[in-house]
Amino acid sequence: MSAALLSLLVPLFTALLLLLLRLRAGGLVIAANALSLGLAVMALSTVVSTGTQQLNLGGWDAPLGIRFELGPLTASLLVFTALVHLLVAVYAERSRHSQTRDTDFWPLSCLLHTSLAALWLSRDLFNWYVTLELLGLVAVAMVILSGPKAHAPALRYLLLSLAASLCYLLGVALIYGQYGVLDIRLLADMVTDDRVTRLALLLLTLGLMLKAALWPLHQWLPAAHASAPTAVSALLSALVVKGPLFILWMLWDNLAPVELARQAGVFFAVAGIAALISGGWAALRTPWIKVLVAYSTVAQLGYALLALGLLLHWQDPTLSTALWLFVIAHGLAKVSMFLAAGEMQATLGSRKVSALKGASQTMPIAMFAFAVAGGSLVGLPPSGGFVAKWVLLQPLFSQPSHWPWALGVLLGTLASAAYVFRVVAIAFDRADPNRPDYDPDTSAQWLAMLPALVVWAMALMSEPVIRWFGEAGL
Amino acid sequence: MTGAWTTFLPLALVLSSLLPGLIIFTLREDQVRLRISLNLLAATLKLCLVGVMLWGVDRGLSFRFAIDFLPGGGLVLQADATSLQFITLSAVLWLATTVYAIGYLENSPLRSRFFGYFSLCVSATMGVALAGNMVTFLLFYELLTLATFPLVVHRGSKKALHAGRVYLAYTMGGGALLLMGVALLHSLIGSPEFQPGGYLGPMLDAHRPSLILAFALMIAGLGVKAALIPLHGWLPQAMVAPAPVSALLHAVAVVKAGAFGIIRVVFDVYGVEQMQALGLATPLLALAAATILYGSLKALQQQELKKRLAYSTISQVSYITLGVALLGPLAAVAALAHLVHQGLMKVTLFYCAGNFAETLGIHRIREMDGVGKRMPVTMTAFTLGALGMIGVPPTAGFITKWYLGIGALDVGQDWVLLVLVASGLLNAAYFMPLIYRGWFSAPPAQWPEERNLGNGKPGLGETHWMLLAPVIFTTVLSLLVGIFANTELSPLAWSQLIIDRQFDP
Amino acid sequence: MTHVSLYLLGGIALWVLGLHALMLQRSALRRIMAVNVMGSGVFMVMVALASRGADIDPVLQALVVTGLVVAASATAFALRLATADAGDNADTKQPADQERR
Repeated sequence: MSAALLSLLVPLFTALLLLLLRLRAGGLVIAANALSLGLAVMALSTVVSTGTQQLNLGGWDAPLGIRFELGPLTASLLVFTALVHLLVAVYAERSRHSQTRDTDFWPLSCLLHTSLAALWLSRDLFNWYVTLELLGLVAVAMVILSGPKAHAPALRYLLLSLAASLCYLLGVALIYGQYGVLDIRLLADMVTDDRVTRLALLLLTLGLMLKAALWPLHQWLPAAHASAPTAVSALLSALVVKGPLFILWMLWDNLAPVELARQAGVFFAVAGIAALISGGWAALRTPWIKVLVAYSTVAQLGYALLALGLLLHWQDPTLSTALWLFVIAHGLAKVSMFLAAGEMQATLGSRKVSALKGASQTMPIAMFAFAVAGGSLVGLPPSGGFVAKWVLLQPLFSQPSHWPWALGVLLGTLASAAYVFRVVAIAFDRADPNRPDYDPDTSAQWLAMLPALVVWAMALMSEPVIRWFGEAGL
Repeated sequence: MTGAWTTFLPLALVLSSLLPGLIIFTLREDQVRLRISLNLLAATLKLCLVGVMLWGVDRGLSFRFAIDFLPGGGLVLQADATSLQFITLSAVLWLATTVYAIGYLENSPLRSRFFGYFSLCVSATMGVALAGNMVTFLLFYELLTLATFPLVVHRGSKKALHAGRVYLAYTMGGGALLLMGVALLHSLIGSPEFQPGGYLGPMLDAHRPSLILAFALMIAGLGVKAALIPLHGWLPQAMVAPAPVSALLHAVAVVKAGAFGIIRVVFDVYGVEQMQALGLATPLLALAAATILYGSLKALQQQELKKRLAYSTISQVSYITLGVALLGPLAAVAALAHLVHQGLMKVTLFYCAGNFAETLGIHRIREMDGVGKRMPVTMTAFTLGALGMIGVPPTAGFITKWYLGIGALDVGQDWVLLVLVASGLLNAAYFMPLIYRGWFSAPPAQWPEERNLGNGKPGLGETHWMLLAPVIFTTVLSLLVGIFANTELSPLAWSQLIIDRQFDP
Repeated sequence: MTHVSLYLLGGIALWVLGLHALMLQRSALRRIMAVNVMGSGVFMVMVALASRGADIDPVLQALVVTGLVVAASATAFALRLATADAGDNADTKQPADQERR
């Protein structure tokens, strides 16, 4: 547990140090991220050997104190968060085009890391509110790093985020008014199926879905994610939208009365399929590279939503594993995709997809990274995305009455294949290649490739992970 | 330590082209010698490894490599009799095609990329052949799609890109369907290793609809690559690719991966008894027969040489499916033998078409007049390949058709004979004019686009030696497998061995 | 009890009013105010809930204080962002300035 706590504190103190000393040193942040990653791995290995651990901050017990819990999922997410931060930070420091060298990116990314780690560890409705607000504010601050043109989408993002938080907070107030506790485990034992609880769950869900950009509340995402600097886009898509998703999953998996969960599950699952199709369609139509990648996030979140919905509808815990494998695989793949897209658009001097003509020659490594990451999004074996899809598909096929849901997954797969290979096919257009404005930077391209390789390597250790998640519970 | 090397040999077979492929990606364009040596070294090494494996299997060793991947289905590479047949074919033809491609692409741009993907493509084919269960098969089947796409669009022209998009749309769609089918089976029983006679026997009564749906999904997925109608649309379009790629696509890699998958699903996953119990064979049989006739009819209408060959492939590969779907021992032998026979004959025909196009600029059929006087060696090879396709004795094609015919009579599906006769006549109708034009028409005053690849004289110098040597090699091989079909070393004898295991467990 | 329900209803009404304004208004300042009205509504609900019993519930009051801090800082940030945005539209941009906040 102490390792997990340190993994949270290291980025926090790094952020404070940078802010107080007015430093913007990327190297320091990279070192802090590496340290935090090491600590998170230590925490993970303790969980593997000794199981879930609890920590009451300051010695105060629930209901008054703040309880942190370190389970298999939280430990994995801590490692995932630190790893993504490390990968993105190395790129942000190394690439000429990251727009983040010597900016406020460095303290902000540390704060983002801290608030996410706190979110994964918390098991308390109000604590989650605080981490959500922190996450939202830091994310908006990071979006505007790319300059004045990002102000309008950033402001819209901020206001939506605040409204969503207040929606969530009203839900929290109602829950507290009804039961008098905020700790999720205590609540799980007390909760009953009445109208106030239902209203509160509705408010909580709406707030969280808006923050996580889950269909149909996703409209703000493409503009905000596409207008941010490349490194920030990667962090936003890979991590920030996953925070509210975690809370949503926790709430419905623990708090919701079974009958209500079954009904709501259908809604979530349908929304998931709608996200897969509409997000995929929008990604297929947009002329802008980064908007395409951002819409792909909307679409991929549909898988998570589908897994959540079916998990609730059938009360089948194996789907939780599918959900979180999707989240982790998508996060890594999306980092790679955003970094590759950003590097290509900066080097080739245009934000348009059509500018990628001939990129398979001019920037082969970045293009390959995009394709490899895309392969995981499509679910090609042996990538992390494939493993997640596989785990999701197993219960879908167990009974003939479940088969129609598999059709949704099939459509989602085809849609994602369509937008990924739309880009790849253009890159192979040799007839009229687009000349780069700058010399392509090989090492930055390799840094974009790295997360994609990690997500494919994920498949190699998928069996023990799936078994462990299945046996230990999340 | 005999255990160790038999474990790693299957992996080494896949890696023997994968690693050189990855190294080739990093080479500069002007490192020609290094690239050529790497290519040839890898191809030769692979052939040696296959030789060792054949020797080992003959001595009764078993080769198996497995790691954990998914619960219920690990990554398994293993050499059984069926896979050995396919890997031997692939390894031999890879060596020939590598030599051919080096000659064909001399001085053209982006060769590092080409040979890199070329090697990846062969690695994926090896993986498909060695896959020990459906999950592993699926994995390499999808990788094959990815590795072949850059080869199809290699020329980078508008037409090539369009063909590439069509190819991807079909194969990714097929891949998704296959994924669904495999996942459906996996949810019922996991993915155990392939076994002769299938492993679904115990599930038969409880899960009838699931098994039927899984079969339909998997055949649809595999049928895309095997070019069964109505899923064949990508194949004629993919003809824009360079000739070595077409040769590889048609004879070894893509089309064969689909046909091989059908063999696996029917014999080693479902098994003959379950196929009969579920009544799945008849629709497959009808589909294969329709594809055979349709492909031949379309081939007759084509005016471009490569397009005609493409439709001919659609028709010929379906012989394999037909033989499988007949579910009788003799027809099954024919199907497996045809996998090899068709590969050898088709690759020869595509090499020849490539030689005509490269040396003289011949792309259309009417331009072939008198080509036999200018390029007698290539034209002889072409003639022998075409006669094989028609099924004239004693060529390899005859052997397959003969066995298919008696196999059909054996299981009481007499109408298949009619299909075979009709298809044979159609084959003759679309190949004979080419042979006639090549040998007996007067050559034109000037060829469409003559290039100075050999010494310009008919005979062994009629074109670049690297283009000619593979042609002679595969022609001789395809004659040998026909003439020596009765000996123990032939593909036919080997197929007999596989099928004996299937039908008498 | 009646005055508690009155406050509760008032709080919820404020929240709904704020949400309504947020959805309809286009001007940045009005939208920021709308969010603040929503916030006040939630805090009013929480304070009302805290005073239901004989003793005042300290947890809720602590939460309201925390919430107020968060709301105030978020509002400040939003206002700065909105004015920077307005400034851009009015005259030429000074990217360095905006980036430094």
